[in-house]
Amino acid sequence: MKKILTTLIVLSSFVSAWSQATLKGKIVDSSTGEPIAGASVTLANQNITTTTNEAGEFQLLYLDAIDEEVLIDAEGYESGIELVEIAADQTTTIPPISLQPDMAQSANQEVYLNILEQDFNDDEGRTQEQSSAASSSMDVFNNITSFAWSTGRYRNRGYEQRYEQNYIEGLPFNSQERGQFNFSAMGGLNDASRYKETVNPMEASNFAFGGLGQSTNYLMSASNYAQGWKVGAAGTNRNYKAALRATYSSGPLKHNWYVATQLAFRFSPYTEKKGQIGEGIDYYSLGYFITAEKRWERDQLSIITFGAPTSRGQSGAVTQEVYNLTNQFNKNQWGWNNYNPYWGYQNGKMRNSRIVHSFDPTLLVSYKHTLNEKQTIHAAVGYHYSLYSNSALSFYNAPDPRPDYYRNLPSFLWDGQLTENGDFIHTDYAGRPLGKTDGDGLLEDPASYNGTGIGHSIDYNSYKALTDLWTSRDDKATQIDWEALYLANYANNHTNPEGSARYIVERRHNDIQEAAASFRYTDVQFNHLRIIAGAEVKYSEGDHYKTIDDLLGGKQWIDIDPFAERDIKELATNINMTQGEIEFVKQNDLNNPNHKTGTDERFGYDYQIAMAYARIWAQNEWNWQDLDLSYSLALTYSSMQRSTQMLNGRAVYLATLNPAEAELYLGKKADKVLSGIFESSYTGANHSFIDPAFKLALNYKINGRNHIKLNTIAQTQAPWARDAYISQRVHDRVIENIYTHDHAQSLSDYYAASEKIVGADLTYEFNYPVVRGRITGFFTQFWNGSELNGYYDDEARTFVNQALSGINRRHVGGEAAVAVKLGTYFTLTGAASIGDFRYTSNAYSVTSAENGMALDESVNDAGKNISVYEVRDSVLIKGLHVSNGPQLNASLKLSFFHPKMWFADITLTYYDWNWLDYAPARRMQGLYYGVRADGTSVNGSYAQVYMDHDRSFDARQLNEDGSVALDKYGTPLLEEPYQWLAAQESLVSDKIWHRFVIDMSFGKLIYLPNRQSLSINLSVTNLTNNVNLKTSGFQQARLPRSTRQGEADGENSTINSNIWKFPSKYYYAWGTNFYFTMTYKF
Amino acid sequence: MKTAFPTTARMLMLSAAVFLISGCHKPVAEDELFATEAQVAELTKDGHLYTLNELVDRFMTEQGNYLSDTTQYRTRANNDGVNPGIWLFSIDTLPSQGEGIYIRGRVITDDYGGNFYKALVIQQVVDGEQQALRLSVDAGSISGIYPLGQELLIRCNGFAIGRYANQVQLCVPSHNNNTYADNAEQKVGWAPGRIPFARFKAATTLIGTPDVSRLHVDEYTIQEIAQDYDIQKARTKDGCLVRIRNIFYTGQYEYNGTLDNCTTGNPSTDTYANVFAPTTGNVGYPQSRIISDGTPYKTNISMSEYAKQANYYLPGADSTGVEHCKDFVGTVTGILSYYMDNANYAPDMYNWSISIRDLRDLELYRTDDIEKRYDWLTNYATEYTFHPEEEEQQ
Repeated sequence: MKKILTTLIVLSSFVSAWSQATLKGKIVDSSTGEPIAGASVTLANQNITTTTNEAGEFQLLYLDAIDEEVLIDAEGYESGIELVEIAADQTTTIPPISLQPDMAQSANQEVYLNILEQDFNDDEGRTQEQSSAASSSMDVFNNITSFAWSTGRYRNRGYEQRYEQNYIEGLPFNSQERGQFNFSAMGGLNDASRYKETVNPMEASNFAFGGLGQSTNYLMSASNYAQGWKVGAAGTNRNYKAALRATYSSGPLKHNWYVATQLAFRFSPYTEKKGQIGEGIDYYSLGYFITAEKRWERDQLSIITFGAPTSRGQSGAVTQEVYNLTNQFNKNQWGWNNYNPYWGYQNGKMRNSRIVHSFDPTLLVSYKHTLNEKQTIHAAVGYHYSLYSNSALSFYNAPDPRPDYYRNLPSFLWDGQLTENGDFIHTDYAGRPLGKTDGDGLLEDPASYNGTGIGHSIDYNSYKALTDLWTSRDDKATQIDWEALYLANYANNHTNPEGSARYIVERRHNDIQEAAASFRYTDVQFNHLRIIAGAEVKYSEGDHYKTIDDLLGGKQWIDIDPFAERDIKELATNINMTQGEIEFVKQNDLNNPNHKTGTDERFGYDYQIAMAYARIWAQNEWNWQDLDLSYSLALTYSSMQRSTQMLNGRAVYLATLNPAEAELYLGKKADKVLSGIFESSYTGANHSFIDPAFKLALNYKINGRNHIKLNTIAQTQAPWARDAYISQRVHDRVIENIYTHDHAQSLSDYYAASEKIVGADLTYEFNYPVVRGRITGFFTQFWNGSELNGYYDDEARTFVNQALSGINRRHVGGEAAVAVKLGTYFTLTGAASIGDFRYTSNAYSVTSAENGMALDESVNDAGKNISVYEVRDSVLIKGLHVSNGPQLNASLKLSFFHPKMWFADITLTYYDWNWLDYAPARRMQGLYYGVRADGTSVNGSYAQVYMDHDRSFDARQLNEDGSVALDKYGTPLLEEPYQWLAAQESLVSDKIWHRFVIDMSFGKLIYLPNRQSLSINLSVTNLTNNVNLKTSGFQQARLPRSTRQGEADGENSTINSNIWKFPSKYYYAWGTNFYFTMTYKF
Repeated sequence: MKTAFPTTARMLMLSAAVFLISGCHKPVAEDELFATEAQVAELTKDGHLYTLNELVDRFMTEQGNYLSDTTQYRTRANNDGVNPGIWLFSIDTLPSQGEGIYIRGRVITDDYGGNFYKALVIQQVVDGEQQALRLSVDAGSISGIYPLGQELLIRCNGFAIGRYANQVQLCVPSHNNNTYADNAEQKVGWAPGRIPFARFKAATTLIGTPDVSRLHVDEYTIQEIAQDYDIQKARTKDGCLVRIRNIFYTGQYEYNGTLDNCTTGNPSTDTYANVFAPTTGNVGYPQSRIISDGTPYKTNISMSEYAKQANYYLPGADSTGVEHCKDFVGTVTGILSYYMDNANYAPDMYNWSISIRDLRDLELYRTDDIEKRYDWLTNYATEYTFHPEEEEQQ
């Protein structure tokens, strides 16, 4: 730290005297003449930026006395450009610059936030986060792409949201558990979140160190908001149907107080019509925002509070087969690919089983002190309580209640009847026809089916009867049959009144409390140099537990792990325990065995993760005639520690199995762990990390209009708490490299756990009155990333957790955008992005069963079984595409603006290069080579008989005479398994017109007397109703049993075609949807 | 919860979050879900309510109506040389349209123990006599919604009545071309298969609430069962709930009509190990262990290798062998089963077995201490497992 300070001081001493030119001005609304606060003002040639105050005024110091181009950018307004002449050694004051309202952008912002919220779903798939940083309208590229490309779930440079930094008034707001920012915290409060500073990836920021992705700082001081009232109403056919909003800003009050507030109510009753967007979803959200500011001559103090209690139903991704079946019905309802498996009828009314409750009450106090014209101090403290929970059906010793459970689908009745895309196939895997088909891929006629060549199948009439239930969307067969769930519970009350309910609706909570403080010091007293130094601290507690929403007529839920109970046979053979003794293993809380859980109490798991975070950072920004240079340093400390209120039977069982390991990982002797049974809680080891980061940015000014920019970053990033634990609901064992880190012997051990990131981008940017734009190339290399997956393992027949680490990947690509003014009324904007985001290494994984059972066993020399509880293996992902939105995108947008305040635009967007997310379980080395990375052998594999680890011919697989190995039918074994399973599916449609989406918006602003106005805007997304755009999807991790090579049909000797029994699940873009708003200002 | 944050703040927040508790749904009333006798009469008025035996007599034929080409049945369905005129596998489809075909019966199985899988057996007492029918339904944990003691009304239209290994069942036609199974070529062909769950659920009404006390149990001696193993006659007795008293495990298994002592081998590799149900090498047939009542007649108690207690020692057995099995004597209750899946052999008394629901169906006591009941809860599983201490001893 001392060194950093010394460096800063030395660098500061290089400051030389330069000119003392100053520029002053004011930004106003073109129609009302009202000042625009929070507008960003940039001098194009000198690359200096500032923000306007509440009076719309700005001032820039220490300027070069040259002709300048002033670029103005404000949320909700079209960008403006003004040419000025800056006089030397004096203050130049320019006349007020007026900006035209950009109504389309305001409307888009709302639509966009809606998409972000909808995507915040952590229950399914490997990565479902699709949200992206808020836009920076200053940047031509971001301005068009952040809205237009949201339909295709484009992600800037393929980065996950955790690489984007989000701040509110300088306070860090990314979660310490997942690294993400929860946009639903501000759900619907579009005015409250309107003002923000956005910094492009890796560029120098003046509010924080920033990071690899975009950085955004939301500014919520009351004086930012335009004085007056604003009330609005919106109608849409999306997840919610209507919104009402009211915003009030006081402007300056007595004693220099300012107050601003917003209320936003968004709602939708259940969308009853099958096939429509938002089918089976209800939605209620009430957002509030209150901010008050007190200003003194040199000080500003703001108090901000907001929150948006929200309850919203969810929809789920399904397999292509389910879409094919339900579209038979939906297509007659003008709805495609909108089937939602999560709802069902109860007493004749819709009920969704998956309801998210979220509420993020937040309180912030921010303070700014101006020491003098050149030195300012910002400080902020805040408290944020994120309450997030999601409900789901849970069941005990009863059939799976999900209508789209694979055993309830027609494909289950015919072995091997799905393609890898989940479509029905009409021939068996040997190519023999099963009958003619209709156009929608459904088996129609079994005439030519001769019963050979496939495995189990049911007769055609039985198959047809089930298919008919699906194509007609029978209420009980294709949706949740709530009445059957009640029936099961009522029956159980009679036969087993003390027993566990068969079905319940449980609620999985992940609450986080955070207290944060930040401080920064900005100094511009030296010519050409701005010094910023800051510190951030944050303490978070993640609280994870389950409660019961509804017992569905049952009397109680017994708090055990049903899967552990089911697999008790395996446990019994694994250890020398009696059945009675083994009963404890299935307990979720040994201090409270067989607890009869009712509503409003915690069950299942109840653990907390305490996370501390502290960062210091400093930045120098030099501005010279031809060159700007900035460099920043940050040092971050973080820690995590899990504690649990419940003593999980599997945790204790696993710890006692291998006392040495218990000591190694838990830091406790096995007997101590056992004695923990009698403690009320248990706190695990504390893991702490220190991560350095460095940024360097150069801006070479060829001339006033043409710049070349280079940004670089190098940093390490500690693993997020969510990814660090092998099976955090059960115990607090961490992934190996954190263990290595905790017991570091050398420097490399010390950074064993952290992800290392090196990134750079190079931009050419041009700015002419008629045309402006940029072209950028970027490169990022990640080493040693980690992530956690959970899935149902068909081989072990249980839910497993799979912790991945050592993930390396490289993101290379380019972005370009250009905006051309075509005469007075039209602007044409084009943008394109191309990327190649790939894994550059295989990953390492630790897989363990949630219910504590052994996942494998081997027999030792003494003939005894050795149980393997944690399977360690490589995951073969090298060369795969990172699945994070389309990697080839292009848009053309034509905008129209008439001075009588008519607006319209139309955008054509093309999406390509989008890949399905892989399931690690399908790519385990052991599956293909028969030997895992840790040297253990796999009992039954898709052995790569033709290939060695480097995919070359493996001599060991040859017969004695040098010919290839044969299966039991004497047929040569093929290399197909790996090819089949390892190919990464493209989500892009074969038909080129399915890759295009057209959006349109249209608006009018009407001025009324007394500075009142009424604005009307209609935006229509996906005008041509392209329902064939797959936006994302994931492979089901589950692999069917008995599909291993050598067990297949003699003729073909491939793996059994049942390999596609658990096909991928997809999300499709919505068909045509609209958002209509009317806003009245007074 | 221990927390660094003040609980009052937390409570305030939580009370504010009460807003979130939207979407309250009125529970479904219990009395709307279980049918009354009046409702049964209403439901069945479009057709005929058959007794279980009437249904079988009316619709089941020896060769089945589903296939005229009988070679497409499972290969081992018929062997005229050994069992003339007898078909072990058959399918008769029931009309899907027209008059309703109804049956009713009370569930006598429970799949919690893992010994029944995707199957229900219902019984109906007609004139004091027990009738039984197997229902093959494609749903795991099906007892979760059709529990022991629950009476069901089933509309059978569109289903089939057939025999699988001579066991009569309500089913749908299903084809097996499991060419990768052991003896695959002998198992290929059409046979009764499981009714898709959604269709079964749609066809089934629960009559009243479940009542275990109304189950009818027939008491037999082993001799009464073992003497009578005629293939066709066995079809009506198969599936009945029975009880046999004074039985004990002999510690033996039967193979091709001869008995041999179970081994002390590892149950995960040795199919003759002295546990209830060691591995079958993933073939999946039920494992049987011989019981006796001291007479020359023997029968089996069968258990699936997937049952929860499959790898537990037989009562009295341990790592030294099966010497002490006969020290535990008592009563067994279970589903009487007659299983014959290969027409190439003549039947014998070992075609019979008792399928227990779980170990509670075994009420055995030590002969030298009649107070001591055999209790699986205090029993050990087999000792084929790795222990560090054992390793050290070796």
